[in-house]
Amino acid sequence: MFRNLLLHRFFIWAVLALPSIPMTATLLSGTTGPDGMPMTQMLLHPTGEFSARFLIIAMMLTPLRMLFPSSGFVRWLIKRRRYIGMAAFFYALLHTLLYLVDMGSLRAILGEFLALGIWTGWLAMVIFVPLAVTSTDGAVRRLGPRWKTLQRFVYIAAAATLVHWIFVHNNLGPALVHFLPLATLETYRAFQFLQKRNRNPQET
Amino acid sequence: MSFKLSLAVLSTVLVLPLSAGATGVHTCEATNKADWMSKADLTTKLESEGWSVRFMKEDGGCWEVYGTTPEGERVEGYFHPVTGAPELIGQRGRVLFKAGSDD
Repeated sequence: MFRNLLLHRFFIWAVLALPSIPMTATLLSGTTGPDGMPMTQMLLHPTGEFSARFLIIAMMLTPLRMLFPSSGFVRWLIKRRRYIGMAAFFYALLHTLLYLVDMGSLRAILGEFLALGIWTGWLAMVIFVPLAVTSTDGAVRRLGPRWKTLQRFVYIAAAATLVHWIFVHNNLGPALVHFLPLATLETYRAFQFLQKRNRNPQET
Repeated sequence: MSFKLSLAVLSTVLVLPLSAGATGVHTCEATNKADWMSKADLTTKLESEGWSVRFMKEDGGCWEVYGTTPEGERVEGYFHPVTGAPELIGQRGRVLFKAGSDD
């Protein structure tokens, strides 16, 4: 019974949607935050943060599988990786919409577009769109091997997200704490890749 | 074992960064709280100069104002709490204005 629940795709959807419940409730409450901070601004941070978290988790899964090939939990997550990626996209979309509403004028939006912390956010969002659109089963089938090539653009999006976070927040700490596990795992993965490449010529 | 480890790695990502708190972006000189301009007074002053003020809070002994400059730029400004003079105007981490940066 519990096992069936875990295997049902609604379960992972529910888990991924969980953070959006307090966000929506906050937004609908119509109140303002501490010191009269508008709700649209209040929610910018959590929506962006959860988008980055899901992005990081989705990206961590391949190196995690290399480290823990027998872990059922990692395998369970890998089977649902596209859902995690879609969650990252939807929180980023919500983040972008809140930003547009919060800014309230095209003039203000364009006025800061060239700030390093801003255009990097837009870049990540622009990359997310084709990645999300091609996340359906049909698109995976149609694109074949090109699907993976396309999805690799996520690395650029992740780097842009990291820069966006650091500069928009004017603070290195939280962004680095989030990205450090991924960076560590990717380093491990690159190291493994190089080792394998060095070993192979000797075998042949 | 590996299940637990992978769970630990993931939960570290999720749980660790719950930080907020004082920003340390800018600090104003020490002032007597009794001499501070009220939020309403500073808002009136800024609006008369063409600003629009969304909200403000105390940070680093200054009034930290979130608003729009007369030029239409969305900014975060640090103002001297007694005189209401701008000390630092920032936009998404970049500095647009810093008082005394030329002396």
